[in-house]
Amino acid sequence: MKVIYISAGLMLACFGSAVAAEPVQLIDTHIHYSHDAWDMLPPAQAIKVLRKAGLKQAFVSSSSDDGTQLLYGQAPDLIVPVLRPYRKRGELSTWFKDPTVVDMIADRLAKNTYAGIGEFHIFGDDANRPVMKSVVQLARKYGIFLHAHSDAAAVINIFKQNPQARVLWAHSGFAEPDEIGEMLTRFPNLRADLAFRNDHATSDSVDPDWRQLFLAHPDRIMIGTDTYAPERWYYVVEHADWTRAWLKDLPGDLAEKIAWKNAQALADWALKK
Amino acid sequence: MNVLKSLSILLTTAILTMPGVLAAEDFSPSERATILSLGPWPPALVQDSGNRASGDLKAIEFGKKLFNDKRLSKDDQVSCADCHKPELAFTDGMALNEGYKKITRNTPAVTNLRWNNWFGWGGEADSLWAQSIRPILSRNEMAATPSGIRRVVINDPDLSCRFKATFNLDPAGLGKHELLVLIAKALAAYQETLVTDVTAFDHFRDALLAGDRNAMSRYPRAARRGLKIFAGSGRCTFCHFGPRFSNGEFSNIGVPFFVAKGKVDQGRYGGIRTLKRSPYNLLGKFNDDGTAKNTVRTQHVTQRHRNWGEFKVPSLRNVARTAPYMHNGSVATLADVVEFYSDLNEERLHTDGEKILRPLNLTDQNKTDLLAFLETLSSGLVTKPGSPDPFRECSSVSRQ
Repeated sequence: MKVIYISAGLMLACFGSAVAAEPVQLIDTHIHYSHDAWDMLPPAQAIKVLRKAGLKQAFVSSSSDDGTQLLYGQAPDLIVPVLRPYRKRGELSTWFKDPTVVDMIADRLAKNTYAGIGEFHIFGDDANRPVMKSVVQLARKYGIFLHAHSDAAAVINIFKQNPQARVLWAHSGFAEPDEIGEMLTRFPNLRADLAFRNDHATSDSVDPDWRQLFLAHPDRIMIGTDTYAPERWYYVVEHADWTRAWLKDLPGDLAEKIAWKNAQALADWALKK
Repeated sequence: MNVLKSLSILLTTAILTMPGVLAAEDFSPSERATILSLGPWPPALVQDSGNRASGDLKAIEFGKKLFNDKRLSKDDQVSCADCHKPELAFTDGMALNEGYKKITRNTPAVTNLRWNNWFGWGGEADSLWAQSIRPILSRNEMAATPSGIRRVVINDPDLSCRFKATFNLDPAGLGKHELLVLIAKALAAYQETLVTDVTAFDHFRDALLAGDRNAMSRYPRAARRGLKIFAGSGRCTFCHFGPRFSNGEFSNIGVPFFVAKGKVDQGRYGGIRTLKRSPYNLLGKFNDDGTAKNTVRTQHVTQRHRNWGEFKVPSLRNVARTAPYMHNGSVATLADVVEFYSDLNEERLHTDGEKILRPLNLTDQNKTDLLAFLETLSSGLVTKPGSPDPFRECSSVSRQ
């Protein structure tokens, strides 16, 4: 009798560990691989980090775009290329005043495959400048999304230019849940990422206001890390673990959507899959 | 007469606009308020409720002896004072020291620590006594073990005697962790007394408060101009505020934090993890505060994305004497620090992370002035009159 108990226990232990070995799938929508990361973290190493984090895919945009191309060349199954309009990171507050940026974007879009243009920084009325208008038009032409690190005003300006635009709102604009909810309700083509935010969850529980937002807009929100400095690549794994922990506090189907399905849908739309 | 009057006005105007002349009224009301908030110095020394030895004369003397005792390290190689050298403002003057192995963080000064809430570049400890344990046990630094420390104390009649006299406990009757904690508490009691003296800046600040123009005039003009930048346009006091010139928290100012290819110093992020896991944190059994009022910060601190690569905002008292700078000693001189902030690399900062940081774009004159101000924050230690040997009962043991 004792032998049977032990065998049953062993079987349960084996079965249990087999189930536990499957981490929740994630798509990280906010990764940069900029020029200053390439030396300390060569492309093969960077791909290893993303795989170690258990990512199904990663939206990568880089200053310059060559970084994205380096990673895409290594792992096209893993990388969703997004075209950043910066040749180096220092251009984040000047790019929208530089008309040559439009030529660079047009040239890259003609040559390579991209799911979106971004992440770019644009605020308020700067979104109505000629360079930004050209970017909106190029996104429309290629049927790809715009990854905007913006305040609500800039997002509104983009949708005024093209109501059919598809915008991924970086960091959810660092706005409060009620404002994010209003924006998502007002603009059906708006998506939001949670990169560099802690306010929606602790390691094991979701904030009530954010839970309400997630439940109200289950198909619109996705996760991201933001590797804005090279050292933050070593945070991708920690971030993925943290994300998996708080997602457990949501209903399974909603957690899956935020974890990867919403991002997958956006990528599939842009890449015409 | 009119000509003379005009000449007089011109001369006065010329003098007032000469580089180097800055009067008290040239500080705006907000700059003046900020300057006054940088004192008075020193603040009251409040006993550490978590440390039974805090403020105790015997513990202070015992701690001083321990601070200089190489036997607190593996193979008796280094003492605390070998890296925290009194003649170098309790630093080692090196970018990165080597204890038993290469250390990846710069050795900070151990002065004015009593008023801190977090200790170490990443805030790995929540008390000065817990912080005193960290280097002793660190394999890269002093590489000792709790059982090794216990052996040293119980096998040395003099140390045993001093331990008994300080804590009224027989060290041989204590477990290794209990004994180590009390050793650390004595070390902390000593370090609490390492308080820097009033500086030229403090005299100026007190004179400004009192409206004593004569005393104010003794403060160098370049330092006054530098102070105006520090408290005004430079916005340095957003982080370096209060009498200690530090908010006591952590920031990412864009200093790279790779320690080797493929390895980063996680800074505050890793510090919080270490703190939470430490058996010596204030939530543990070694906290002497029965009310547990000193545990609130430790209970509530949580890891946040921004903590990755954040390091302690250091006090600026004695800053001119504690080169090199930054958590990894990567900036050699104080003039280089001023250059660092003048040309701050915004690319390494998250636009929504450190909103207050921006390049200062200082002129050469600005840089000289800021440096002149920072140099007025130097002083020696507050000295106290000597007291009779509190360990007279141990003198016979020491001679054995």
